[in-house]
Amino acid sequence: MLRVDAINKSFGGVRALRDASIEVRPHEVVGLIGENGAGKSTLMRILSGSMRPDSGVIAVDGSRVALRDTHQANECGIALVFQEQSLLVNMSVAENIFLAQEGPFTRFGVVGRGRMMAAARACLAKVGLDIDPARKAGELSFAARQMVELAKALALEDRTDAPLTILLDEPTSVLESKDIAILFDRMRALKARASFIFVSHRLDEVLEISDRVYVMKDGAVVAERSADVSSVSELHAMMVGRELDGEYYREARQASSSTDIVLEARGLTVDGVFHDVDFALRRGEVLGIAGVIGSGREGLARTLFGFLPQSAGTLRINGQETILRSPTQAVAAGIGYVPRERRVEGLVMDMSVAANVTLASLKAAMRHGVIDHRLERKIADDWIRRLGIKTPSSAQVCRKLSGGNQQKIVLARWLTARSHILILDHPTRGLDVGAKEEVYDLIRDLSSDGIAIVLTSDTLEETIGLCHTILVMRDGAITARFAAPAGAKPTQVALLEHMV
Amino acid sequence: MARVLSVDMATADVADRIRPYAPLALLIILVFGVNIAEPGFANFSTLSVVLADASILFILAAGMTFVIMLGGIDLSVQAAASFASMVVAELLPRVGYFAFPITILVGLLIGLASGFVHVKLRISSFIATLATGGIMTGLSLLMADGHTVAILATGREQCLWIADAWLFNIPNVAFIALVVAIAGMLVQRYTRFGRYSVAIGAGEPAARAAGIAVDRYKIMAFGFSGALAAFGGAALAARLSSGSPDLANQLLLPTIAAVIVAGTAITGGVGSIGRTVVGAAIVSIVRIGMTFVGIDIFAQQIVFGAALVFAVFVTIDRSKIPIIK
Repeated sequence: MLRVDAINKSFGGVRALRDASIEVRPHEVVGLIGENGAGKSTLMRILSGSMRPDSGVIAVDGSRVALRDTHQANECGIALVFQEQSLLVNMSVAENIFLAQEGPFTRFGVVGRGRMMAAARACLAKVGLDIDPARKAGELSFAARQMVELAKALALEDRTDAPLTILLDEPTSVLESKDIAILFDRMRALKARASFIFVSHRLDEVLEISDRVYVMKDGAVVAERSADVSSVSELHAMMVGRELDGEYYREARQASSSTDIVLEARGLTVDGVFHDVDFALRRGEVLGIAGVIGSGREGLARTLFGFLPQSAGTLRINGQETILRSPTQAVAAGIGYVPRERRVEGLVMDMSVAANVTLASLKAAMRHGVIDHRLERKIADDWIRRLGIKTPSSAQVCRKLSGGNQQKIVLARWLTARSHILILDHPTRGLDVGAKEEVYDLIRDLSSDGIAIVLTSDTLEETIGLCHTILVMRDGAITARFAAPAGAKPTQVALLEHMV
Repeated sequence: MARVLSVDMATADVADRIRPYAPLALLIILVFGVNIAEPGFANFSTLSVVLADASILFILAAGMTFVIMLGGIDLSVQAAASFASMVVAELLPRVGYFAFPITILVGLLIGLASGFVHVKLRISSFIATLATGGIMTGLSLLMADGHTVAILATGREQCLWIADAWLFNIPNVAFIALVVAIAGMLVQRYTRFGRYSVAIGAGEPAARAAGIAVDRYKIMAFGFSGALAAFGGAALAARLSSGSPDLANQLLLPTIAAVIVAGTAITGGVGSIGRTVVGAAIVSIVRIGMTFVGIDIFAQQIVFGAALVFAVFVTIDRSKIPIIK
């Protein structure tokens, strides 16, 4: 039995876990749910040995263990199946399964290929995957790779006497429904051999596969439910921890958008990503795009900023037909982009706040063709004050600021560039509740200033709450459009029908 | 526990604050060290030899700095400098002073070509510049069938502005290097190119997503590197009164060393021309100081390698780099 007791973990000033405690009994599937930022992933990382808690106890079969690295976690019978798949695509399935565990197959420093293949075949049989272990992992489908990861986790059986606990972090988010059914079948069969912790956003799935469910919120475990007596709506309410009301998304401030069309797509297509997309975006409008991974919405958002070249169709910006071949052209056309990967694409983390604010429109800080550092500071200080960015000064490097403040700096950059169309790609990802609310306020401010916004979001709730109009995408095409005026918002169920 | 932690943090803070000055301290220690080992080193005539050596090294390294700041590398500098020495030696008798701007222009074009190969054909700068460097070496060899081209009396007069010492016996090339240094620092601090170089080196995806035309600025950096390498080569030719296909051989590693010894990160994003000034001085003092204190010419590479490891180790905080490649 695996017991986690009163784990705490902070990053800088943010407490990611507060006295989190869970228990995993033998032959059990435990569901773990919570909003983004609730602490699920941090807890998974601690259990898998890739991160250490600040305090708290982890015990396997009653004895305390220290999980200093992945190897030690494995020795304690804990293995993580990664959300973003971790197989090395250039190596064979067998080599992947026994990566860094080649010892038993090695004689005189040479890895015995035959013995490894045989052992790999046995591992694959446990998960019911009938493939040649000599194949390269990169040749397999996503679903098959996940099964290989599961087989890799099960290979632990032969190495440790500890009871096996397999951590599945969002395993279904990238799978199609028939693959999900297969995964669940395997999990039920494998319960005889191992316990599972199953992390997912899809509450119905969690209820279907789990025996018990833990609900996390703001870093704490707030509830434990037996799966057969709980329901999606109960879990949802506990997870969100508040009544769903319009206030949270500032619906009262949702002004009706104007009739001026600033961005119009007709038959917009990127081969293999999405096709025949039509929409019109108006001044001050917040247009949401809803859809699961693979629906094409990510690609659409990136196409509107020139990352992906369009293969067909037309795009008009302020009535002018435009082809965006690069982000440089998109910026020149007055478009700004707030990426989901804030630390990679959003900010140059090791440059100052001021330099990041002017990055897209350095001209604003130039006089007579050279950078005027005083003018640049003034521009940055102005945004620091107006957006309430918490930083010691405009010379501070962005890496040292919190996620919410970093996000505001990205917005300040596009405001400095006077972008009139903003693509917000998961703008609240990884932010805590307070910072999210500030971003919601900002979105309303931008909208009432006449800036048109295209929004993709992690939750349907956020999309519905914030947007004037919602496009639903599935398999690369728009399947539905919803008007979402304040007070007459569509329901999540209505959107979901067109998503899957 | 909390106390220990805060002490640790304080030490880390102090280390962070001292680190930028480590190269300068190293430079001063070196001058004193060599002078103690062999009194007389720190006199005017020796230091002016160091200065002339450091100046040419700096001119090459200044161009390299732009490329390294962007996260690339230019392995063609010694070939470009040698090629430029041939071009300038051939041109001087024919066009006089015009030989210098033409040579620099040739260097610029070759640099831009390297940048184009690297960026547009998506070949790593390591390979791209190795290849263009090879091509230039071949051209240099073909120009005079592998021979040296002496700059004769007709051209020598036009070289004096580089080779002579008009003011207080300070070599003119030092003043030229000073101009390059100041211009480089101004470019870094006050121009679009300077700002974008840092942004691209420190976070290329973010720079791209901010709409910066990353490709263009990368190609420009290689152009600068080529132009300065050519200028360095021409200056070397002027001082030695000849152009030769292997004139700048053995200068590639010192050039890279001059850039990174003073704390410009080979991974890009961190660094400056100002640091390279100090770096070029450090490398020159180590090179010339070794001869001065009588270290066997064959053993000098050993000392140089060890000094390089030490200098880079103390000047860059490695704990913040997750993966060292």
